[in-house]
Amino acid sequence: MSSENHQKLYFPERAQVACSECTLGNLCLPRSLDANDKQQFEHIVNKSRAIQPGEHIFRAGDKLNCIAAVRAGCFKSYVIDQNGEEQVLGFYLPGEIIGFDAIHEKVHNANVVALDTSSVCGLSFSSVSEMARQLPDLQEELFRVMSSQIAELEANAADLSAEERIARLLCSLSSRFANRGYSHTEFNLSMSRRDIASHLRLATETISRVLARFQSAGIIKVNRKKVSILDVDRLGELARRDTC
Amino acid sequence: MSTSKSFPTELITKYGLAGPRYTSYPTALQFHEGFDAEAYRRHVQRSNDDLIPLPLSLYVHLPFCETLCYYCACNKKVTRNSTLTDSYLQSLDREIEMQGELFDRDRQVIQLHFGGGTPTYYDDLQLKHIIEKLSERFFLSRSSAREFSIEIDPRTVNEDRIAYLADIGLNRVSMGIQDFDPAVQKAVNRIQDEDKTLGLIQAARKAGFNSVSVDLIYGLPLQTAKSFETTIDSILTVRPDRLSVYNYAHLPHLFRSQRMINTDDVPSAEVRLELLASTTSKLVDAGYVYIGMDHFALPDDELSVAMRDGSLQRNFQGYSTCRATDLVGLGVSAIGKVGNSFVQNQKDIRDWQALISEDKLPVWRGIALSGEDRLRRETILAIMCQGALNFREIEQEFGIDFTNHFALELESLKPLRDDGLIELSEESLEVTPVGLLLLRVIAMKFDEYLITGNSSKAYSKVI
Repeated sequence: MSSENHQKLYFPERAQVACSECTLGNLCLPRSLDANDKQQFEHIVNKSRAIQPGEHIFRAGDKLNCIAAVRAGCFKSYVIDQNGEEQVLGFYLPGEIIGFDAIHEKVHNANVVALDTSSVCGLSFSSVSEMARQLPDLQEELFRVMSSQIAELEANAADLSAEERIARLLCSLSSRFANRGYSHTEFNLSMSRRDIASHLRLATETISRVLARFQSAGIIKVNRKKVSILDVDRLGELARRDTC
Repeated sequence: MSTSKSFPTELITKYGLAGPRYTSYPTALQFHEGFDAEAYRRHVQRSNDDLIPLPLSLYVHLPFCETLCYYCACNKKVTRNSTLTDSYLQSLDREIEMQGELFDRDRQVIQLHFGGGTPTYYDDLQLKHIIEKLSERFFLSRSSAREFSIEIDPRTVNEDRIAYLADIGLNRVSMGIQDFDPAVQKAVNRIQDEDKTLGLIQAARKAGFNSVSVDLIYGLPLQTAKSFETTIDSILTVRPDRLSVYNYAHLPHLFRSQRMINTDDVPSAEVRLELLASTTSKLVDAGYVYIGMDHFALPDDELSVAMRDGSLQRNFQGYSTCRATDLVGLGVSAIGKVGNSFVQNQKDIRDWQALISEDKLPVWRGIALSGEDRLRRETILAIMCQGALNFREIEQEFGIDFTNHFALELESLKPLRDDGLIELSEESLEVTPVGLLLLRVIAMKFDEYLITGNSSKAYSKVI
């Protein structure tokens, strides 16, 4: 399927999106815009249909038309390495922006697949970029989001123990869920342990072993894919972060 | 447990209904063919995806027997045709390969059980081959805490074989005895020497099996309370760690081989009760703990310890102390339990082999549990294993209001409370020592499929 058709599939029509009424209004790109600017922004937003688990919204090599803001569900981005192995780059929750990696070569580098029943808002990149030139608040927000993504990647690239990596991921997810108004101590993960392992560059069994260790130390409780954080402070210490 | 003092004959007569044994909930009667190999694969994948996947149990069904025991209701085939039994092993190898593919390699097998049929129908090398094949395709635990067990028909082994079974890694054994009375043995077509059997139990101890269990059956033709007591006395001389005393369910309309038993020889309800009462009190007096559902164990056996500390589990073999596992069923008619699903293999050997020969998983049927099924499974398991139900714990786990959700069930439990089977409070249900003998009756009150009116004819009598 050509990338044009591919993207049409998910961003089919201009839907009535009211960013001002969106529950993610405080997290998403237009959050710092005033009412007028927000209305203008709504014109460049295309709402997707429901995306089923396993469906891709971007494929590596797709031309850059859109970037996407997650409305609901969860996505992972990944590349296939020379050995044919999947390498998970990141996970995206509602309000987070997917596709910034495509800006410099105008081509998406990563595959992006839904892990849950999900939906996104497609944003024509040329329009976003055009609009950012007129709206400094939007431009600043774009820089901020890109920067936080880079920081997250850099943090992961550091030389960390398995415990630290896993504790950091849990802390990161905890605060991201909290920002979305969900519990920061109890959440269901959409990703498999294999995805987490690939993302953290650890062996699959290490994920389970370390989580089991955290569990018997009374720091977390795990039931299938549900995580309950019982001791926020100690998890924060393990992650070597002030807060969790 | 002080079950011996006053045996509740009247209550058992009163509640002597038909009822399932709840080795699974929902019971196998609810399995359906809509749950197919594809559904099974999905459930396995999901279980691999869990953050901390459960360790595995393997059940291997070896269905062949040399002779027919008339009482038997298991899925078995009586044959001496080695072409048939050899080709069964080849198919089993292939099934082990296919199933091994499905499960992530880091999932340790902490429990393995060979059931039958007669597993020891196969010779030493064949059994060794199966274990090697399993170890090639699954990650078998090397811990001494692993439970690797086999059902033994004492007529098929000698002391050397017992030692060999220990050498190839098995550490638990259950021996089929049923009854030592020659008249009873003749009536059920299972002639087995008493002295040899007792010698084998001692040989198993010597060989290092760390748990020896024996199976007995009451309610067999020509049994009397007195003759059965003689069997029990004889067994008590070697003090097995565990005893299972099963009730014989005479259902000749369902099990053809049972038609070989003269119905007139089958003990009356009164005699069966007497058998149960005298056996129970004899074992309890001898120091055994009544675990529930036909099972007895020595006080220092893990099963008794687990019962005391509330960690008892229930599985298709009865009770277990293993932590929760996903169960892989291998062989004809074998049942598996993965995540929130049960799955069963084809029950006919030819159908099972035909699918395997096409490289297909030999799945016959199964069930994916609904939220309601899981809630009721948890409730029934708490009754069967802990003899107690803490309403708040169930409420927390499933987000329900217990008293509201189970209003009808709680109402229907009141007669049981009035009869002293259970104690009910705002917070909990507790099974009394008397109720322990009627666990099924209590558990049945929470069985949605019985409540909504599924046939119960197929179940064995509660006593």
